[in-house]
Amino acid sequence: MRAAKVLERVLITIPIMLGVAVMVFIFMRLTPGDPVDIMMGEMVGISDAEMEAMRREFNLDKPIHVQLWLFLTDVLRGDLGTSFVKRVPVAELILAHLPATIELAVGALFFGLAISIPIGILSAVKQYSILDRASMAGAFLGVSMPSFWLGLILILFFSVKLGVLPVQGRIDHDVGLQEVTGFYVLDSILTGNRAALVSALRHLVLPSVTLGATLAAIVARVLRSSLVEILRADYITLARAKGQVEFLVIMKHGVRNALIPTVTVVGLQVGALLGGNMVVETVFGWPGLGRLVVSAIFNRDFPLVQGAVMTYAFTYVIANLLVDVLYTYLNPKITL
Amino acid sequence: MSQPLLELRNLTTVFPTRRGLVRAVDGLDLTVREGEKLGIVGESGSGKSVTLLSILRLVPPPGRIVAGDVLFRGESLLAKSSSEMRRVRGRKIAMIFQDPMTTLNPVFRVGEQIRESLRIHGLVDGRGRARRRAEIERVIQVLNDVGIPYPEESLRRYPHEFSGGMQQRAIIAIALSCEPQLLLADEPTTALDVTIQAQILDLLERINRERGMGIILVTHNLGVVAEFCDTIAIMYAGQIMEKGATEEVTTEPLHPYTRGLLRCLPRIYGKREKIRPIPGLVPDLATLPPGCPFAPRCDVVRPECREDRRIPLKEVEPGRWVRCLLY
Ligand SMILES: Nc1ncnc2c1ncn2[C@@H]1O[C@H](COP(=O)(O)OP(=O)(O)OP(=O)(O)O)[C@@H](O)[C@H]1O
Ligand SMILES: [Mg+2]
Repeated sequence: MRAAKVLERVLITIPIMLGVAVMVFIFMRLTPGDPVDIMMGEMVGISDAEMEAMRREFNLDKPIHVQLWLFLTDVLRGDLGTSFVKRVPVAELILAHLPATIELAVGALFFGLAISIPIGILSAVKQYSILDRASMAGAFLGVSMPSFWLGLILILFFSVKLGVLPVQGRIDHDVGLQEVTGFYVLDSILTGNRAALVSALRHLVLPSVTLGATLAAIVARVLRSSLVEILRADYITLARAKGQVEFLVIMKHGVRNALIPTVTVVGLQVGALLGGNMVVETVFGWPGLGRLVVSAIFNRDFPLVQGAVMTYAFTYVIANLLVDVLYTYLNPKITL
Repeated sequence: MSQPLLELRNLTTVFPTRRGLVRAVDGLDLTVREGEKLGIVGESGSGKSVTLLSILRLVPPPGRIVAGDVLFRGESLLAKSSSEMRRVRGRKIAMIFQDPMTTLNPVFRVGEQIRESLRIHGLVDGRGRARRRAEIERVIQVLNDVGIPYPEESLRRYPHEFSGGMQQRAIIAIALSCEPQLLLADEPTTALDVTIQAQILDLLERINRERGMGIILVTHNLGVVAEFCDTIAIMYAGQIMEKGATEEVTTEPLHPYTRGLLRCLPRIYGKREKIRPIPGLVPDLATLPPGCPFAPRCDVVRPECREDRRIPLKEVEPGRWVRCLLY
């Protein structure tokens, strides 16, 4: 029953991804700028005939509905097409860049939760204390600060001034990491490469903090306000009246309930971690999907943009599915 | 006479508010003997819930107990350390609440919530599996005691899968699980419909009879108290206005407030009388009038009632107390 529901939700991603892809397909072709013009723009001495040949190769000479038909039939056969610019299968490019993006999202999620959960709990328990006011002011900053700005400040301070953390990239190349999965932290553990692990983690810190700051701020605020509310509930008084120790009254009876609204918010934010990291990837030179898609958009590399957006849609839907499963586990009133 | 089970001496609990200090419980003197059923009656805001919470020292901050004492079997609860106090809560004195729908934790199974009490007080011996089995057996037994059908299945249910009446039974089961000597019941039937209300009162009655457990029943329904309790205390603005044996207080009320409350009771049998509500509103505790707090609404008020002094609670007959200048 449960498994069937989960499967149903996974299958539903297929029409969602196709719908998203069609929309991107159309919007990309509506925006001005011809891929071949852009690609050939800097080159001199290219004849019109050569440009025409290239258009034919990319099917750009055909009417738009025919292009769409070709694209959809290819996609349904599992072929995302070939990048106009890099002349490599789109799927290959995406698979090469996706691990970096996921690794960064996981790092940001980890950082965000590690800081926001204790802060949210403490602020709720010590409502209106200095700690509460300070952390809520911090959370306000966290929400309102643009991430490129936070990223630059962190780089200036930790990398340039203190010189303790790297500025760019995912890893130092002299550590000799052997790629297995494309997730560098995981790979360095799998291959037992300590130097690589340290290097990968050090590279992950600043981008994770930058990307996770918004999530941390939002989660801290939601957790605090729902916990404040819950700590006034009758069942909290009952827990105390049972003789339960205060720590467990708060953690077991309070936080366990406050996690329900919090998980919803985390679910919404996970999408932002995966899909909203173009700025952070650009600032930190992080070779992920975000940077790939930005350059693809500028180059009017239609197949690559389409494939990347479908990937975003897929990861987004899967992330939300995971959150929903977690939610039903946390909230007995809901079943999938 | 033997030592009382619970004694409140001049208990005073205040809430600092923006509009001034609210004396929610104002110099309360009460006694509960072993196995006694005491009813506390009063309108909304008269301090009934705060009284019960004060007994367990669970008054929500910024409220605090500023004077008086709570003696349980002669021992001061206010003098206890917080860990000693935790051993009293649930084990010696248990509490049930007004709204069953919000009193059970929505995310834990009912059986688990009863078992938690057993574990807190380490009431079931043994280790590991054996202990778990013994605890579950005890949970089943308690569920049985409070009349929840199919206890083996019910203990695996979540609160929202229970009706209000069943939830209140489950809450009573939690309260009874550690066999306390005193049960504080804060309007346990207000949120339930009348037939369920009668069942719950029956259940409490039976527990009182079978186990000799003392009960303080808080309610704003004088009818419920008249049927259920041995003694009644009438509360108004944080003070006791009148107390005595139920029979006497209901048939021969002394305080004008008590008489007013009785006149508000609809009668189903016997001669029909017009229901006459007490004029005026419950006073705002932050701006109480000087003298008797009931004076503004009293139909036999005299000038000296409004003089700025506290009217004493007087014992007019053995066991019969009233706070009124008429006596
Ligand atoms: N958390 C609180 N903060 C401030 N004041 C409070 C708080 N709780 C209670 N009070 C004050 O104490 C007074 C008595 O409240 P209490 O809850 O004991 O009334 P009650 O007799 O139980 O009424 P009800 O029948 O509505 O339950 C209230 O009028 C209110 O002014
Ligand atoms: Mg109350």
